[in-house]
Amino acid sequence: MDHFSTGVSVAPSAPVRHEMRFEGTGGEYFRIWIVNLALTIVTLGIFSAWAKVRNRRYFYGNTFLDGHSFDYHGDPKRILLGRLIALGILLAYYLTAALTPLAGLLWVPVFLFAAPWLIRSSFRFNARNTSYRNIRFDFHGGYGGAFKAFILWPIGAVFSLGILAPISRRARDYYHINNHSFGGKWFNAVIPAGRLYLIYLLALAIVAVGVVFAFLVFSHSGIDFTHLPGKGEAPTPAMIGLFFLLSIIYLMTFLFLATFVGTLVFNLAVSCTRLDEDLHLESRLSPFAMAWILFSNLLLVLVTLGFFTPWAKVRATRYLASRLSMTGPATMEGFVASAAAPGSAIGEEVAGFFDFDFGL
Amino acid sequence: MAAQGRYFLPRSALFVAAALDVSQDGETLLVQGADGLLAQVPRRAVTATSRLGNLRRKLEFPDGGGFETEDNDAIDALLRPRDGILHRLEKSWRMVLAAVLLSAAAAALFALYGVPATAGWLARRTPASVAGFVSRQTLEAIDGRLLKPTGLAAAEQQRMARLFRVMAASAPRGEIGYRLLPRDAPLIGPNAFALPGGEIVVTDQLVRLAQNDEELEGVIAHEMAHVDRAHGLQRIYQASLVPAAIAFITGDASQMGHIATILPGVLLQSAYSREFEQQADDDATAQMRRIGKNPARLGDLLERIEAKMCGVKGCLPSWLGSHPATAARAARLRRR
Repeated sequence: MDHFSTGVSVAPSAPVRHEMRFEGTGGEYFRIWIVNLALTIVTLGIFSAWAKVRNRRYFYGNTFLDGHSFDYHGDPKRILLGRLIALGILLAYYLTAALTPLAGLLWVPVFLFAAPWLIRSSFRFNARNTSYRNIRFDFHGGYGGAFKAFILWPIGAVFSLGILAPISRRARDYYHINNHSFGGKWFNAVIPAGRLYLIYLLALAIVAVGVVFAFLVFSHSGIDFTHLPGKGEAPTPAMIGLFFLLSIIYLMTFLFLATFVGTLVFNLAVSCTRLDEDLHLESRLSPFAMAWILFSNLLLVLVTLGFFTPWAKVRATRYLASRLSMTGPATMEGFVASAAAPGSAIGEEVAGFFDFDFGL
Repeated sequence: MAAQGRYFLPRSALFVAAALDVSQDGETLLVQGADGLLAQVPRRAVTATSRLGNLRRKLEFPDGGGFETEDNDAIDALLRPRDGILHRLEKSWRMVLAAVLLSAAAAALFALYGVPATAGWLARRTPASVAGFVSRQTLEAIDGRLLKPTGLAAAEQQRMARLFRVMAASAPRGEIGYRLLPRDAPLIGPNAFALPGGEIVVTDQLVRLAQNDEELEGVIAHEMAHVDRAHGLQRIYQASLVPAAIAFITGDASQMGHIATILPGVLLQSAYSREFEQQADDDATAQMRRIGKNPARLGDLLERIEAKMCGVKGCLPSWLGSHPATAARAARLRRR
């Protein structure tokens, strides 16, 4: 089969940026979504696992990089099993916690030690069931690493009063990114702590502006706060109105901040990642565009009683893909020539016995 | 007849342009390249993705090779038995419309009848010992914090106990079925609530606000109805059912924390709660009439509570709150 590798070892050329793009449409996805939803309802939830695979296949299969799409291969039966386990745990938790507030506390250690295992299983299941150009991804993280990244680091962040929060976030990203591989080539992220802290400081500055703004609203509202309503005295309508206004501002600020930090950290983490030696990933999401897309999507989903959901998902995915790219050799042939599926051929048991997708 | 596409070498990301065809006997798939036959695979050993939207179809061969094509119709013709019923459903606008109607109807039925019926069924089958356990746990959590020992004078306490005994005697569970817990609750204000085990907490603030015995008797009858109908337990079951169902149907545990998932559950929960309040009001009216007392007095007390807690403007709009609008409740209680 020598003739297939001719033209592979070309002289190194200037790196080229390969843009990712999403080609799904809301109208097409709506039909897939609603039919699978109806089948899920008719089968009392059993079909949900098959529906999930179909939904996911639609999004992976319509995401293109350098002319090739991604593929999702999850086995619905394993997803159903994972989902039944999750549902059982959830019901047990809800019932015991609702019946006795104290029993809720007993669940804390269970979740603490089970969560890393669930996270690792989901990462591995998803990686091994995702392929690009006939080659599967893989995830190599262990339980210990997950426990450190998802339990110990967050605890450390809390006890340091948030000072370690950016580092804790980085530990999570490192566990996720640096344990992924594609055809024997590894993903590798090196995220400078300074830039991470800058993002969190920016978020703090936004909070400060929000507090000053709220204070100005208070002091210019013309309400005399030195005379608060006493017992048996009703608050004035102006006070109630102001209270609602501030609650909404508070909620919006909080949602915006979460999106803002999340987007910038995502940009940073992706842009600090390379695959093998010379493929560099890049993400250029705008936090404002993200916030607007998520907020308007949420509003439209609520107003349409959920029926806008397919368009919302397509819209968000299309934007996400349009801002993701990979910079490397002009043709990827050289890279992919050396990427190969390890071990046995397809039909191999890709998911280990204890790998499930828990929808994390 | 042949499907044009790309052939991927075994376990490799390298591909060549190729065409897929099927042998004369239909048992073997043939991959033809420009220079000749690239691969032949027994048809049974091939796994092919089902048709979905305009996605490229992918075939996986046992040796790790593969074939992909955008020519969905050609590949369907080649692999005839595997054309996919799901794709036909997803393609037909009539089926899509049916799916919309079915989903909307199912959601409405589930919310209107499914949840209340299931919660009611579970609550009726919950042993009394469990209900008592829930009561003790709840009291333990709030006694001493939100609730303080009663500060009513001894005479007032005796009056309340007497009213309570009279009402219990004419209620379904009889005198041993309910227990009065008078409490001082400066943070809660004038209020009363029932626990699943039959305990009924009446705050000092409510007793002081009442202007006659019948107002208090109405409150007691209302709370006893909550106990009789196991509303407390039903509320617990409802709270677990709605989010669990949404997560299971929409398919993601990560959806659990999303506002679009939480909000319907919260709104539904308060709608069920308003239903319970109306039932309790109706039961209280029936009991009061049976023993020759005036149920309308409870309406007077409710209006006084609202005036004290929320001023003349009233409290939250009724579609948001856990109780129906006070004016509507009072009017219903005064109905002849």
